[in-house]
Amino acid sequence: MENIGINLPLLIAFLINFGILFVLLLVFGYKPILKMLDQRQAKIRESMEQADHIREQTAKSEEQMKAHLEAARKEGQTIISQATQMGEKVKEEAREDARKEASAVIERARVEIDRDRDKTIEGLRAEFADIAIMAAEKVINESLDKQKHQKLINEVLEESKLFKK
Amino acid sequence: MSKKPGCSTPLFIVGIILAGMFLIALVYGPLGSKILSLTGAQITAPEWMAVGKPEIQLKSEAVVHLSWFTITNTLIASWLTIIVLFTFFFFATRRMKLVPGRLQNLAEIVIEGLLNLISPVAEKNARILLPLFATIFLYVITNAYLAFIPIFDGPIYLIEPNGAHAPIIRAANTDINVTLSIAIISFLYTEIQGLRIHGLFPYINTFFQTGKLRDGFSHLIKGKIKPALSGLAFGFLNLLIGVLEIISHLVRLLSFTFRLFGNMTAGLTLLLVATFLVPYILSIAVYGLESFFGALQAFIFGILTVVFASMSMSSDAEH
Repeated sequence: MENIGINLPLLIAFLINFGILFVLLLVFGYKPILKMLDQRQAKIRESMEQADHIREQTAKSEEQMKAHLEAARKEGQTIISQATQMGEKVKEEAREDARKEASAVIERARVEIDRDRDKTIEGLRAEFADIAIMAAEKVINESLDKQKHQKLINEVLEESKLFKK
Repeated sequence: MSKKPGCSTPLFIVGIILAGMFLIALVYGPLGSKILSLTGAQITAPEWMAVGKPEIQLKSEAVVHLSWFTITNTLIASWLTIIVLFTFFFFATRRMKLVPGRLQNLAEIVIEGLLNLISPVAEKNARILLPLFATIFLYVITNAYLAFIPIFDGPIYLIEPNGAHAPIIRAANTDINVTLSIAIISFLYTEIQGLRIHGLFPYINTFFQTGKLRDGFSHLIKGKIKPALSGLAFGFLNLLIGVLEIISHLVRLLSFTFRLFGNMTAGLTLLLVATFLVPYILSIAVYGLESFFGALQAFIFGILTVVFASMSMSSDAEH
């Protein structure tokens, strides 16, 4: 044993040395480093979870936005179709009014025409009567009371009118 | 640089120079001179090339004598190792940040690497065993690698009045007290962990399984001869196995000690002899070899401790 140098005090010194090294490395090496590794692991896991959460939320809000857009488009379409309908109605009404007015105008014109015609006929009749009286005077050479003549002619005309009808 | 298949020009030049130096060293060194002198040629090495004849010493040499204690050159080397490791870890972990700097990152890589190394072996005990494993590994490998610094075993000698001279610092792994001290700690740690996990009597029971013996005696009292005989036979066999088990535990102490001591001392001897026989050149190759063996021995010492400790800690230990 002496030849290879085993020596009790020296052995104890090396045991103490190893113990010192063990404690130093434990305090300044392994403990803080393992703690830091654990902390970093926790931090990374947390960050990843957070990222997942944010991604989820983004997807959700995107979906919501899409839904909103869809609703808005539908509403717009409804408004447009309503407006179209209203326009159609207004157009129809206008057309109806125009038609009514036109028919009124026509009616008025007809009444006027009728009146003109009646007046003309009346005039013609009077003139005709005068001519007839003049002719009759000439024919019978007798002057008749103008009023009697008139009455006579009217009677004839009435008759002729009746006949016409 | 011209790229040719094979090697580049600067590398080629370096190779030529090394080969030339090797030839010169071979011819003028003790090995070559001796061989050539047999042929009658007289070659004397130039003064600057003479390397002193190595003196192989198994014991570590005393450097400072105190009244009650002797400081040896290996003890100084071991202190140096402690200082280097402490300085590294102290500065690496002084201001720890979540986003690490370079030094902190290096320290973390080392510790995490060691933890990953023992995780498959120790499984759930990896974190408990890490401090001991890492300390053994770092202590042994640092002892081995610091010895590459040329002040080791080298130029600074302490010359005593009686003419004996000792290098002032010598690789700590080449002192059997160092390897024995680590082996004792590894052994004690293994046994203490076994006791802690199992308790005193269950742990003793993992060595001596007395169940069969007790069965045998109870059968003997009841008068059943055949089961009693087999019970007693197996019981005594188990006792014998227990003795072997204890011897195997104790042998670990020796194998730990002499594996590291032998490897490292052989490395040192090889280095000295190589430096003497073919000066300057051959030691380069030996350094390469030794850097491999240093890491390997550190790993073996550490991982065997982990294996034995986790064996004694596991519930179905020692079968």
